[in-house]
Amino acid sequence: MTTAPAPPVEDVSGAAAVSADTAATGTEDVPPTPRTPGEALDLLAVRHATGALHGPLGSLYLVDGQVVAADSDRAPGLVDLLTGCGRTTPEGWDGLLREHGPSGRVGEVLVERRLLTRGELELGHLGTLFDAAFFVLADPAGGTWRFEADARHWLGPVAEVEPDRLRREVERRRRLLDGIWPWPQLDTEPVRPAAHSRLPAHRASGRRRRELLDHADGRRTPADLARLLGRSGFGVTADVRRLAAAGLLDLPRHTTPDVPAEAGRAEADPAEADPARPGRPEPSAEPADRSGLHRRIPGATLRGPGLRTAATTTRATTTRATATPATAARATTTPATAAAHPPLAVPDPDIALLTRVRDLLEARL
Amino acid sequence: MPGIDECLSGAMTIAGARAASLVDWGSGLALGSLGDSPAGEYETAAAEATDLVRAAVESQTFTAAEERRAPLEDIIVTAGRSYHLIRFIDTVFDSRLVLHLWLDRDEGNLAAARFRLRALAEDLVLG
Repeated sequence: MTTAPAPPVEDVSGAAAVSADTAATGTEDVPPTPRTPGEALDLLAVRHATGALHGPLGSLYLVDGQVVAADSDRAPGLVDLLTGCGRTTPEGWDGLLREHGPSGRVGEVLVERRLLTRGELELGHLGTLFDAAFFVLADPAGGTWRFEADARHWLGPVAEVEPDRLRREVERRRRLLDGIWPWPQLDTEPVRPAAHSRLPAHRASGRRRRELLDHADGRRTPADLARLLGRSGFGVTADVRRLAAAGLLDLPRHTTPDVPAEAGRAEADPAEADPARPGRPEPSAEPADRSGLHRRIPGATLRGPGLRTAATTTRATTTRATATPATAARATTTPATAAAHPPLAVPDPDIALLTRVRDLLEARL
Repeated sequence: MPGIDECLSGAMTIAGARAASLVDWGSGLALGSLGDSPAGEYETAAAEATDLVRAAVESQTFTAAEERRAPLEDIIVTAGRSYHLIRFIDTVFDSRLVLHLWLDRDEGNLAAARFRLRALAEDLVLG
């Protein structure tokens, strides 16, 4: 079992509300107080609860302890997939929802009316369920959680997922993102392509990532882009982090990334659990000490004082040595550079590209 | 009308089938799996198949001359004892899905299996 993110203080009160509500569903033993949304979900599973678990970023719906649906503003839903590909119109969908939502028959009707085949419905449903659940459960911000007993989702029965499997998947995806580029701020800020990302020499690899760049206008967030392109929220989030890792984005200001202890590696082998991964250091406002491994010329991507941190950390991440004292010790136990991976380890194209971009930028200075 | 389970059961009836898995290569998630996992557990196999698929899909070499919407049909890996067939599934909405079939080389027939897997992938979305 993987570890859940450290619970913020607010979670405790919110989750306590969860346990209070679930106690009402009828078990006599003293309810242990869940400390994280994940634990609350486990508790609801054990009790075979039916209802909706509402968190700050969305809701999970359970029937008899199994997760049957999830919604989040950060992830496009089934409606976005269907309107995006022209199978239905927003008006048509609203009518469907009004008519069959209250009885929880929308999924059934979609198949009856041949708007979707059974297979498509299952694929779309599971895809959007895992996608939304990721944002709901991986949200580090805390906030209030509450359980609404006996609430039913409008879709009705399509496919269910064990809470334990869902939690493992959320944790795996979180590690996957951090392995690509450990900068969660990217997930919610507008995506701003770097000026040089338009140059042919700096083309993003992959058609999907190029399309993403083409639609990033400096105002749209990853969630906006996901909805616009009808793609999964997680997929866009991962691609945005890959673009950042390739140096093709202007990074959000006033932020510092977490330390990429396993950057590159984690993506190469995302299934490998790493519960022993050390806790990450507190982000510091400004790296204090630049002495360390592989000094780089500062400011390779510098555009102004506000981006100083971004430029510095780009450099630091590339070299895997970081400027904060808290991580200096770890630098001795991890390879000094991304390029220092043994050649037979699965090479990460993003890290390789990042290294090339860095070298190019340095050559210009 | 087939769903994911029927599709995977169908794949397991292909001669020589040892495992069948439906993988979302956008995230590395196995949406469903049947049979023995080649890598010990399904999650590892799905993640590793995802790496292979991404490498092919994101390369100029294998996709530049192809149709933009669905550039690849199959990825086939042949080995001393096994065949691996990875079939891309083309859904109307955006998704990144493949069917991964692991075949025993002695018992399986690559051409027949590929033909059958293609039909299963089409049935899954066309009904």
